[in-house]
Amino acid sequence: MSEQATPASARTDAVPIDWAGYVFVAFFTIPFLLFNVLPVLFGGYVAFTEWSIIGAPAWVGTDNFTAALSDEWVRNAFRNVLLYGLIIVPGVTVFGLLAALFVNQGWPLSAVARTFFFAPYVVSATVIGLIWVWLLDTQYGLINHYLAYLGLDGIPWLTSTDWSLIGVSIASIWWDMGLAFVLFLAALQDIPRDLLEAAKVDGANGLKRLYFITLPLMRPVISMVITLQLISTLRIFSQVYVMTNGGPAGSSDSPIRYIYESAIVRHSFGYASALAILLFALILIVTFVLRFVVRER
Amino acid sequence: MTVATKTLLGRRTFLSAAGAVLAAPMLGTRAFAYNKPIELVHWSWLAASDGEVWAKMIDAFNEAHKDKGIQIKLQLVPEEQYTTKVLTAVATGQAPDFGWGTAGKAAQLARDEVIMPLDDLIAASGLDLADFSDTSVKAARYPKYDNKMFMVPMDLMSLQPEINIDHVLAAGLDPEAPPKTGEELIAWAKAMTQMADGKVTRSGIMMTGSGVQPTVTWGIVAEQMGFQRASDDLKTACVNPEAGIKAMEWVLALFDEHKVSTRDVTDRYKAFGTGEGSIFWTGPWTLNGYVNQGLNFRTYDFPNIGGTQKTYFEMGGLELYKQQDEGRYEATMEAVRWLSDNSFLWTTVGRGASPRKSILANPDYKTAGIPWDKRGAFVDGMSFATILEVPVLDGPDFTIYSGGNLLAKTLENVWAGQKSPAEAMAELQAQWQKSLDKG
Repeated sequence: MSEQATPASARTDAVPIDWAGYVFVAFFTIPFLLFNVLPVLFGGYVAFTEWSIIGAPAWVGTDNFTAALSDEWVRNAFRNVLLYGLIIVPGVTVFGLLAALFVNQGWPLSAVARTFFFAPYVVSATVIGLIWVWLLDTQYGLINHYLAYLGLDGIPWLTSTDWSLIGVSIASIWWDMGLAFVLFLAALQDIPRDLLEAAKVDGANGLKRLYFITLPLMRPVISMVITLQLISTLRIFSQVYVMTNGGPAGSSDSPIRYIYESAIVRHSFGYASALAILLFALILIVTFVLRFVVRER
Repeated sequence: MTVATKTLLGRRTFLSAAGAVLAAPMLGTRAFAYNKPIELVHWSWLAASDGEVWAKMIDAFNEAHKDKGIQIKLQLVPEEQYTTKVLTAVATGQAPDFGWGTAGKAAQLARDEVIMPLDDLIAASGLDLADFSDTSVKAARYPKYDNKMFMVPMDLMSLQPEINIDHVLAAGLDPEAPPKTGEELIAWAKAMTQMADGKVTRSGIMMTGSGVQPTVTWGIVAEQMGFQRASDDLKTACVNPEAGIKAMEWVLALFDEHKVSTRDVTDRYKAFGTGEGSIFWTGPWTLNGYVNQGLNFRTYDFPNIGGTQKTYFEMGGLELYKQQDEGRYEATMEAVRWLSDNSFLWTTVGRGASPRKSILANPDYKTAGIPWDKRGAFVDGMSFATILEVPVLDGPDFTIYSGGNLLAKTLENVWAGQKSPAEAMAELQAQWQKSLDKG
């Protein structure tokens, strides 16, 4: 067989390409590339430009990043989001776990309680925000009304620089707790009963069973809930936008709301993209640190 | 800038206004006659009580032109996303033909040729500019862009105090002798303020701890005291900064010294409507809502607090957006001209005072629509509504009617006690100067 004949022979022997597979994959791949990958790449490019939709983006190098790092409002928003994380993540984790432990007891009405604990999660964040604006109103809100019964002064939940971040956090915990609750409940129901019963026979009381058996076995789920909640909290927007719009004096602002303002209100898309990249970097770092801290040993 | 309530449109009011609308085409205005039917796309952010009146204006236009080959399709776009959507639409060649704008806030759109200069189109359409007030024509122009007109003025708005008459009478005050000076204003506010445990439970002067209300109050008082955000030639920021600092102290005193306001109000419109405040300076877009809910209030001229009586001026108007098919401009301008010529209903029931001298001179102007004791100050008060926008690229950062621009955010630190008035003024001066230098 001559040298020249080899390629033809190879072509004849080659496995035919099954184009049908590519067609099936294309239904996912093409929209994914168009609507996920391409916008991310374009956003990365826009971060190094000045652009307000009309006309071509003008290359400004790292100016947007430099400006962001010296922007007092950016520092404030990033500081706030870390505070949100410190309040909301433990809040959601602890209250979600307590709710799951309560429902897992199988006491009467636990099915109703399960619905109540999960219900807020299916409501949109905007509705949650509006409801909590009413509940937390300083003068006429229900929360302050009941605090007055306890002899406590009304708290300016959303109108004071000292309280607004806490007010938004309370609403967020109530809203986000539903998902954590469901995940914890599923994990609790997966714990082998014989382990708990054996501990009980050995004389371990409820608290000891919780500390030495339940919580260690739930560690992977707790780790997952903390990670998911932290990422969710770092992206907090709707509650802030609806309840305080970041105020007063930026005391409840968050990076996403500031990005929204930079892009949609001020039309500084380059600056907003730079902020988004900085937020992405923060989420990445915090997630890695967290995974390291709560890793399986 | 609207409150969501039902429109005030009594049968007689509507018939009176509709009569004027329908009669106008017979009074010498040009008639449309197009060879090819055309549907103009109109974007509007007016979604509440004033929006219902505007929809009736568009319906009236479509009814008057049903056999003339031109119709308007009205599409609502949320106000906050409005400009972004316009930019996107223009960039993709899908821009609406015309839409609402606020005078002085669109310098960037003018620079980027998103909105069209209208001088030639206005002249060709036969719209009589001499019938417009000088202030409205001036406000529609951008000096930095050949001083061309970029909008057709539709309504003139100012901020004037609406006062709860039930509170006035309960406090033993005379509703026929409203406060005209800063001292009288504070005296009225103190008389109507209610307190419990040392805290204000009903504000004599409706205020919020952040956002629009303290910002615009500062803006008005500062200008009355002689402060200017930008010099007349738009080259120097913060003329007479001491007056600006003094105005900040005046606002702070409402909360901390006179105790006639509380920072704890979250929704000022709702709070005034439910009697949580007695004096509320706001715009004519609130009238329909409060009248319909039966609130017993009257509107008065803004007092002279700082030495020169001034108040905030805002002008709404219609802008034409850049089209790929330039043949659409003429038809759009014709439609805008018709809407302007027939804006009697809009400026008696909808919003604001008319910029048209002929409409103001209409003998029915004071009796049609919302009662004059509620609407009159918004019309007569235009004479001292002289605090205009600063028509530069960063104009939105200068506006005093904002809850989230550079000005509002800087001042929020003062209201919250985190910065001194002098520090805030220094920051504003530095930032605004950069903006003015940008052009």
